[in-house]
Amino acid sequence: MSDLSPVIKNIESQKKSVNDVGSLEKMRLQFLGKKGEITLLMKELGKLSPEERKAAAEELNKVKDSINDFISSKSEEFEDNLMSEQLSSERLDLTLGTKSTDGRIHPITQVIDEVIAIFTDLDFCVAEGPEVETDYNNFTALNTSENHPARQMHDTFYVNSETDGMPNVLRTHTSPVQIRSMLQGKPPFRLIAPGKTFRCDNDQTHTPMFHQVEGLVIDTTSNMGHLKGCLETFLKEFFETDVPKMRFRPSHFPFTEPSAEVDIGYRKEGNQIIIGEGDSWLEILGCGMVHPNVLKNVNIDPDQYQGYAFGVGIERLAMLKYGISDLRTFYDNDLRWLKHFGFVPLDIPSISGGLSR
Amino acid sequence: MKFTISWLKEYLDTNASDEAIIDKLTDIGLEVEKVQDAKDLFGAFIIAEVVEEEKHPDADKLRVCKVNVGDKVVDVVCGAPNVIKGMKVVYAPPGTVIPVNQMKIKVAKIRGVESSGMLCSEYELGISDLHNGIIHMSENSKVGSLYIDQMNMNDVMIEIGITPNRQDCLGVYGVARDLAAAGIGELREIAVPNISTKAKNPIQIVFENPKDQNLYCPAFGSRYIKNVKNCESPQWLKDKINSIGLKPISALVDITNYMLFDYNRPLHVYDADKISGKIVIRSAKKNEKFLGLDEKEYTLDQGMCVIADEEKPLGLGGILGGEASACSMLTTNILLESALFNATNIADTGRKLFIDSDARYRFERGVDSNSLNNGMDRAASLIQEICGGEISESNICGEIPKVEHNISFNLTRNANRLGVEIDAAKIEKMLNKLGIKTKKNDDILMCSIPSWRQDIHGEVDLSEEVIRLTGYDSIPVLSIRTGTRINDNVLNESYKNNLRAKRFLAQRGNNELITWSFTSSKDSNFYIEDQKLKIQNPISEELDILRPSLIPNLLNAVKKNSNRGFESFSLFEVGNQFFSDQPGDQKNIACGLRGGVKAEKTWRNNESIYDVYDAKEDMLSLIEHLLPQSKKIEINAGAPKWYHPGRSATIMLNKNIVLGYFGELHPKIMKFHKIKSRISVFELFLDEIQAKVRKSTNKDNYVVSDFQAVDRDFAFTVDKSIEGKILVNLALKADEKLVQAVDIFDVFEGDSIGADKKSIAIKVMLQASDRTLSEAEIQEVSSKIVDSIQQKTAGVVRS
Repeated sequence: MSDLSPVIKNIESQKKSVNDVGSLEKMRLQFLGKKGEITLLMKELGKLSPEERKAAAEELNKVKDSINDFISSKSEEFEDNLMSEQLSSERLDLTLGTKSTDGRIHPITQVIDEVIAIFTDLDFCVAEGPEVETDYNNFTALNTSENHPARQMHDTFYVNSETDGMPNVLRTHTSPVQIRSMLQGKPPFRLIAPGKTFRCDNDQTHTPMFHQVEGLVIDTTSNMGHLKGCLETFLKEFFETDVPKMRFRPSHFPFTEPSAEVDIGYRKEGNQIIIGEGDSWLEILGCGMVHPNVLKNVNIDPDQYQGYAFGVGIERLAMLKYGISDLRTFYDNDLRWLKHFGFVPLDIPSISGGLSR
Repeated sequence: MKFTISWLKEYLDTNASDEAIIDKLTDIGLEVEKVQDAKDLFGAFIIAEVVEEEKHPDADKLRVCKVNVGDKVVDVVCGAPNVIKGMKVVYAPPGTVIPVNQMKIKVAKIRGVESSGMLCSEYELGISDLHNGIIHMSENSKVGSLYIDQMNMNDVMIEIGITPNRQDCLGVYGVARDLAAAGIGELREIAVPNISTKAKNPIQIVFENPKDQNLYCPAFGSRYIKNVKNCESPQWLKDKINSIGLKPISALVDITNYMLFDYNRPLHVYDADKISGKIVIRSAKKNEKFLGLDEKEYTLDQGMCVIADEEKPLGLGGILGGEASACSMLTTNILLESALFNATNIADTGRKLFIDSDARYRFERGVDSNSLNNGMDRAASLIQEICGGEISESNICGEIPKVEHNISFNLTRNANRLGVEIDAAKIEKMLNKLGIKTKKNDDILMCSIPSWRQDIHGEVDLSEEVIRLTGYDSIPVLSIRTGTRINDNVLNESYKNNLRAKRFLAQRGNNELITWSFTSSKDSNFYIEDQKLKIQNPISEELDILRPSLIPNLLNAVKKNSNRGFESFSLFEVGNQFFSDQPGDQKNIACGLRGGVKAEKTWRNNESIYDVYDAKEDMLSLIEHLLPQSKKIEINAGAPKWYHPGRSATIMLNKNIVLGYFGELHPKIMKFHKIKSRISVFELFLDEIQAKVRKSTNKDNYVVSDFQAVDRDFAFTVDKSIEGKILVNLALKADEKLVQAVDIFDVFEGDSIGADKKSIAIKVMLQASDRTLSEAEIQEVSSKIVDSIQQKTAGVVRS
């Protein structure tokens, strides 16, 4: 077997000239190709005696391994270089942008969903009624006779259709849903009825349409203490405060007796209203024990059953909770306003997920 | 209802502070709306004397005055024409805030002359409209003293809101009684004067139709007072009238006003010499004219109650007196009326004639029947005291109704209602102080309700009295959480669909709007056939009908926002549309709208515009969201007339339920609203989407195929009229086992294939559940698809 040192020397010098994938392949062919120098030497091994062959083969394999090692490390290096070149050539300016495309949920919807989340946790169901109502359901059944002064304070919208000789109305409150629900079912009742209501009034602090949520609880034991507990729980949960400062004041509604209005304490910090503390009062809802005449009107025996009802303005809740100062903006449908005061679609209020964030 | 603390204390013996009184009023349901301490308004004004005055050197209409303000003499520039030397005036020193305009007085140079303060008119003080001269105080006013002391104005005025049931508190005396019952002092009962006279009342009073008397005026009491001398009221009465923001007029008028606000007793004084013959209480005649004391002429109608003489109406009973029999300073003989009118009649008449008077306000809420005599006699004695004259006997025509009645008040039920047990003795004491007499028998209090509490009809009303006087604070806060649930279904399906639809549409990039349930009839012509939707008393012409569609209000929002610079519209509303004005004839609709720029031109994309396919995608995705895996949806060309006839469709469920429509809006509508871009909408009837009745919460069985799926593309040249869905359905039916999905991926029209032709390319996915398909099988299905489509559509497969 001839001396390998010239081949090794040649290999070493060739290694130095390898500078790209092409020259690496050329080198591989020169030494390890079918007619490569090492390949040929390998073929000659057969001519040697067994002892010589073993020693020579070991020598040759060492040389071959060193070339293979070189080739694989070099080719990895070249691939890495190629990749870095590609990467640097593919650089993008990611400050250029895309726009968020989700829409917004109107604050009134959001607040109604919050109210529903709170009350369903307290075992209330949600009831509905039509926007055009009979005079009877809207007034008479609610103990508001034709000449009751409270009726004139309602500024009712009338339509031309009639029921039992009385023109039908756009419901002035959600209370007729009480009547419909009680006529359809049997006590006990625990329901809320959110919805649109209408009054013929249009100025800085009134819109001809607005939203209310009605609450009704009828069973054999619910009393004014429960009414207080119910509303305290609601206001605490809704405003996400500790037990809020509240004030029950005697008031008058034809369909409840005793009746109360509820004020909630607040203070101002800069432009922001902090609900539940402070020395100022804001009227927030009306409530009371359902009047026995109302129960009689829906064929429920007032000597056996009693309970309470309440009505809250949704816009008022939304204004206080989210710092919306102008009632009229709810119905202005300005997309800039909606972007600011609206809610992202998947912020669905729930007890587990929280009401707001 | 306004009164002052000192007026109140005439009837309420109390040491309570003003604050305690004010807080208690709200606590017992007489909500304090305003507290005005005269000190805060007028405390800074001082009585001063003009000691010298001369013309301003640089202004013709201004005078420069030296004014003695008590401790010094200051210069004040004054523009009033009536300022003269020696005049006692009302002076506002620098720093005073002028009530009428909230302006703060400063030392200032006026045309070069320094002026320290201001001389005030009644207008500037906010006590009248007189502003053509400054106030001329009487000669004996003390210079340097406070204006409020000089005027006896140093008092606190309180305004309370009275709920419609509390007619008893529309007079100061009633408020005092309520406060006394709530533990703020003791009521000083009014001593009604005892009038003894033999003089006859010369004016005969009759009901025209005695049978109907109760529908008009159940009782009409009167006294004739001869030889009175009407005059200015004495100071104490003027002060009272002033203190609640009214103007004193003359003794006769002021006395009736005083009885109204003090004793809640509406009265009327006629100049008896202007009455022709007897007084007739009757229904007005149709179109009868009446000139009111407010100098307005009213046209009356049958059913309205008038107090007339033999010639003319003298007054609208219980609402408004008439000009024809009005008192003046020359009046010498009067008829004093104290009557009870029918509340319903008063309310009707007042409403029809748009008259809001203090008398109407009280009569329609119910006036204490026993105040007829007491109020009349208090007023008659006052008139005699101030104006002299001789009082006649009282003449009551009709009968004073007896409204007192008894209620049995069950104390156990009361405690169960209020959630708190209140000591029976305490309850009796409170009720007694309200004038309710009680008699206890075990658990029952027998209560006699006095004539002035016409709001108390039953037990619950007494519960309210008890708890409001005890204080709502005494009610405990009780938990309402119970062990068992009452409600199985919290939300009905329709409500759930509402919630889902809103969140889903918003997540797809649409903004939720809430618009009025009414709209303009002009905007709505496109959507109405002959529905009756009119509102009788709309807020404006633009909102005069119930909306027959959600579209017009959404279009108005598009218009409004486009004026604000928006060019891209993805909006929706979920709400009711109306089919008639009958209760319940409404449907819950999800209406989505897309229009304008879909994607702005950027370095990446060209501008794109929303089209009808965007609305379609919204709608079908929403249906898929509400009704997952329903395959029974069909899209049929054509929709109602507000849609573009060639670019709209109706969506059917199970072949017979119309779920809704989508399409481009008719160009006529765009033109009407002056909207330039094309707008596409969908309308989905949410209530038509019913939840599947299910036996189990399990979903249908499903096997995932492990065998390879293959796609094959086909293109057909067909007539333009052939809809893509026909090709898709034919391909699906060619082999229902193997064809898993068919999609149209290209539609092409062009001269190269003929003007009345189009090319539709479909991608068909084939897959078997139990094997990999062989080439032969694929060929076989392919041929079936081609054959079927060529045959049924007369189309030609393109190679």
